[in-house]
Amino acid sequence: METLNPTKPSTPSLLKTHFLKSSPLINSTIKLKPQIRSLYNRRTLSLTITCKLKTSKDIKNKDKNVSRKILLSDLAPPVSEESGSGNGVVPPKAAGGGGGGGGPLGFVKRLPRRVLSVLSNLPLAIGEMFAIAALMALGTFIDQGEAPDFYFQKYPEENPVLGFFTWRWILTLGFDHMFSSPVFLGLLALLGASLMACTYTTQIPLVKVARRWNFLHSAETIRKQEFSDILPRASVQDLGVILMGAGYEVFLKGPSLYAFKGLASRFAPIGVHLAMLLIMAGGTLSAAGSFRGSVTVPQGLNFVVGDVLAPTGFLSTPTEAFNTEVHVNRFYMDFYDSGEVSQFHTDLSLLDFDGKEVLRKTISVNDPLRYGGITIYQTDWSFSALQILKNDEGPFNLAMAPLKINGDKKLFGTFLPAEDVNSPNVKGISMLARDLQSIVLYDQDGKFVGVRRPNSKLPIVIDGTKIVIEDAIGSSGLQLKTDPGVPVVYAGFGALMLTTCISYLSHSQVWALQDGTAVIVGGKTNRAKAVFEDEVNRLLDHVPEIVESSSLSKQSDIISG
Amino acid sequence: MIFSTLEHILTHISFSVVSIVITIHLITLLADEFVELYDSSEKGMITTFFCITGLLVTRWIFLGHLPLSDLYESLIFLSWSFSIIHMVPYFKKHKNFLSAITAPSTFFTQGFATSGLLTDMHQSEILVPALQSQWLMMHVSMMILGYAALLCGSLFSVAFLVITFRKIIRIFDKSNNLLNNSFFFSEIQYMAERKNVLRNISFLSSRNYYRFQLIQQLDDWGYRIISIGFIFLTIGILSGAVWANEAWGSYWNWDPKETWAFITWTIFAIYFHIRTNKKLEGFHSAIVASIGFLLIWICYFGVNLLGIGLHSYGSFTLTISI
Repeated sequence: METLNPTKPSTPSLLKTHFLKSSPLINSTIKLKPQIRSLYNRRTLSLTITCKLKTSKDIKNKDKNVSRKILLSDLAPPVSEESGSGNGVVPPKAAGGGGGGGGPLGFVKRLPRRVLSVLSNLPLAIGEMFAIAALMALGTFIDQGEAPDFYFQKYPEENPVLGFFTWRWILTLGFDHMFSSPVFLGLLALLGASLMACTYTTQIPLVKVARRWNFLHSAETIRKQEFSDILPRASVQDLGVILMGAGYEVFLKGPSLYAFKGLASRFAPIGVHLAMLLIMAGGTLSAAGSFRGSVTVPQGLNFVVGDVLAPTGFLSTPTEAFNTEVHVNRFYMDFYDSGEVSQFHTDLSLLDFDGKEVLRKTISVNDPLRYGGITIYQTDWSFSALQILKNDEGPFNLAMAPLKINGDKKLFGTFLPAEDVNSPNVKGISMLARDLQSIVLYDQDGKFVGVRRPNSKLPIVIDGTKIVIEDAIGSSGLQLKTDPGVPVVYAGFGALMLTTCISYLSHSQVWALQDGTAVIVGGKTNRAKAVFEDEVNRLLDHVPEIVESSSLSKQSDIISG
Repeated sequence: MIFSTLEHILTHISFSVVSIVITIHLITLLADEFVELYDSSEKGMITTFFCITGLLVTRWIFLGHLPLSDLYESLIFLSWSFSIIHMVPYFKKHKNFLSAITAPSTFFTQGFATSGLLTDMHQSEILVPALQSQWLMMHVSMMILGYAALLCGSLFSVAFLVITFRKIIRIFDKSNNLLNNSFFFSEIQYMAERKNVLRNISFLSSRNYYRFQLIQQLDDWGYRIISIGFIFLTIGILSGAVWANEAWGSYWNWDPKETWAFITWTIFAIYFHIRTNKKLEGFHSAIVASIGFLLIWICYFGVNLLGIGLHSYGSFTLTISI
C-alpha cells in the first residue's frame, strides 16, 4: 500500500483550477501516471477538478512537455486505470489546455467562451423556457391573426387589461401573430443557442466523467457514497458475480471492485438536446423552404400544381413536379346511417407535361397523395353545380351558391327561373342542399314541394315544369404543400422519443473494497434512488457469507474486468 | 341496447366500488389498525380496474372504434390509466403510498365522467373524418396515459410542498387531525400517505427523521412517475404531430390544444432541469411540478371548454367540420 496520507499538492495550478460547472472548455481528463500515487484517495476532489479554462497564465506555468501530453490525452478515451497500477485518480495538476491563446489573442479567444458560459447557464435556460411557455400561453389567449381594428376594440386604451395591457403592446410586439413574432422566434433561437452551449460545455464533460470507470481504494470514500453498507465475512468476488447477474458491468482489480449499469442514460440527455436542435432546424427549414396553397376544384376539372402553390420563404425553390397537372376524376362522400358525413373522397389523376397519367389515387382525410415532394390533402368540400333535365331537355348545369358560410353545417342553393330571366320580378324554383345526397325543392311561392336524390331519376313536377335531377357535382377542397423540413423534423421526432425513453434509465455505480474479511460497499445512482437502494440491498442479501477466513485466499481471480 | 345496459351496469359498479375504496381509505386514515380493510381496498381497486376495462371494451365493440373520441370517453380512459398506475406497484409487491394519490384520482375522474354534467355526450357514436385514423389510438392513449402519470407525479409534489410548508410554519403541527379544519384535497391525501408509511416503518425514532424520510420518498417517487409521464407525453405529442401532418397538412399548427400540450411539456422539462441542480432540487422542482398540475388541467379541460381550434371534437358542444 502506498501512503494513505492524502496530501493535497499545493501546486499553483490547483488553486486556480475552476470547477466543472463554470468551466466553458473542458480539456479532458488526464491519465494518471504512477508517479502521483499519493493523491489516490482524494478522488472526490479530483473528480470535480478535471478541467479548467485555457488561460495564458497557465500555459506559462507549465513546461512544454506537460502541455503536449495534455494535448494527446484530449484525444484518448478517458478510460484510464485499466493500465497502470490501478490508481484511479485524475491529477488536479493536469489542468490547463493545449497551446495557443497567449497574449492579445487570448482575449479574443476568451470572448466566445464567456458567451458560451453565459448561454449554458442553467437559470438562464430555465428562464428562457418559462418565457417561451408564457408567450405561448399568451398566444392562445390573444386572438391570433385578426385585423388591427379587432385589437383596438378588444384591448382599448381607456380600459387596459390588468391595468397596462392595451392594443399598443400587441401590435408593437407582434403578438397578433405570436408564433411568428420576432420576440417569440428570437427566444426560440436563444433557447437553441443555450441548448448547444449546454451540450458542449456541461453535458459532454459530465459524460466524460461518468464514463471513466474508476476504482475507489479508500473505505472512507466508499462509505461517503449515497448508499453504503458493510458486509462482514464476504468476498468481493462473490459480490462481483452477483452484480454481474443483475446486469452490471463489473471490473475487479485486487481488492477493489467497480460496477456500473445504465451508462446510456448519461448519453440520453445529450441525445434529447440534439433531437430538439434537429427539430428546430427542421422547423426552420419548413418555414423557409415550403410551398403551400389550397384550391377548390369542381369534379371533372384540372389544375396545375405550380399555379396553386405559393412560396413561404426565401429558400422555397420550385421543382420539376410543379408542372404536374391534377385532374379531379370524382368527388364523393360516405355517410353514416344517421346521415352524418363519415368520409370525403377525391379520385385524383396526376398528368405529366405530355398529358400522360403518372399516378392515380383516391385521397381522403387522413390519406393524402404524395408525389415528387408534393402532398395533396383532402381538407374541404363544396357544392359546385346541379345537373338537371327540364321537361326532358338538357341536361342543364345550375351553379350552386353557398348560402350559409358561418356555422357548423354547410348549405347550398340554386334557382331555376320559370319565366324570362330578364323580367324585373323573376320567379322560379329554388333548390337547397346540405350535402350531395338530397336536394330539397321549393316552388315559385316558396312552398316545399319535395326531396329528390340526384341519381334516382325520379321526376318531380313543379308548377307544370317536370324536373329530373340528374347529378350533383361537388367540388373538392384540396390543400397542397411541399415541405423539405419534414424528414429532418421526423428524424428529430424519432431521436427525441428514443432518447427520452433512454433517459428514464438510471446510471448506477457500485464500488466495493475488500477490507480484511469484510467488504465495504458503496453506490450511487442518478435517477431512481429508492429503487436502486432496494435493488442493492436485495443483491447484498444474496452475497454468501464466508465461514472460513482461509477460503478467501484460495479464491482465484475468476472474474476480471 | 344490451350494450348500453351493460355499459350502465359497469359504470355504476366501478363508481360505487371506487367510492367504497375511498371510504375505506378514510377509515384507515383515522384508525390505522385495520389491515384487512386495507387489503379489501386493494381488491376493490382491482375490481374497479376490471370494470373500467370492461366498460372500455364494451364501448369499443359497440362503436367499432377505440373509445377515445370525446371528452367522456377520454375521462373514462383517464380513470382507467389512474387505476393502471395504481395496479403496477401492487403487482410488484411494492407497497407504497401511491394508492393514496391514485385511488382518489380514479374516484374523481370516474365520478366526473359519470356525473350528470356530461350525460348528453355519452351517445356520440360517430367518428368525424379527421379522427378516422390508426393514429387516434396511439396519440390519444399516449396523451392520456401521460396526463394520468403527470397528474399523479405532480400531486406527489403538491403533497411534498404541503409537508415542507407545514414544517416551516409549524402551525398545524400540533393538531394531528387535519380533516376537521381543512378540506384541502392533497392534505387529506398527505394524511393517508402518512398512515401508510407509518404502517411500514416500525421504528419511529423521531418525527423529524420520519418526516425527512417521507419527503425524500415523495420527492423520489414523484420524480420517477413524472419521468414516465413525460415519456408518454413526448410520444403523444410527437405522434400527434405526425398525425397532423397526415390529416391537417402540417405537423405543427399552433392549435390551442397543441400549444398547451407543448406548454405542459416545457414546464416539465423545466422540472427536470431544476432537478439537475442539487441546490434547487426538491422544493423548487416541486413548485414547478405543482404549476404543471394546473397546466395539465388547462390543457385537458380548459381548451376543450372553450371549444376552440382543431381539437374541438371533445368539447361540450360537439362541432363537426371537416
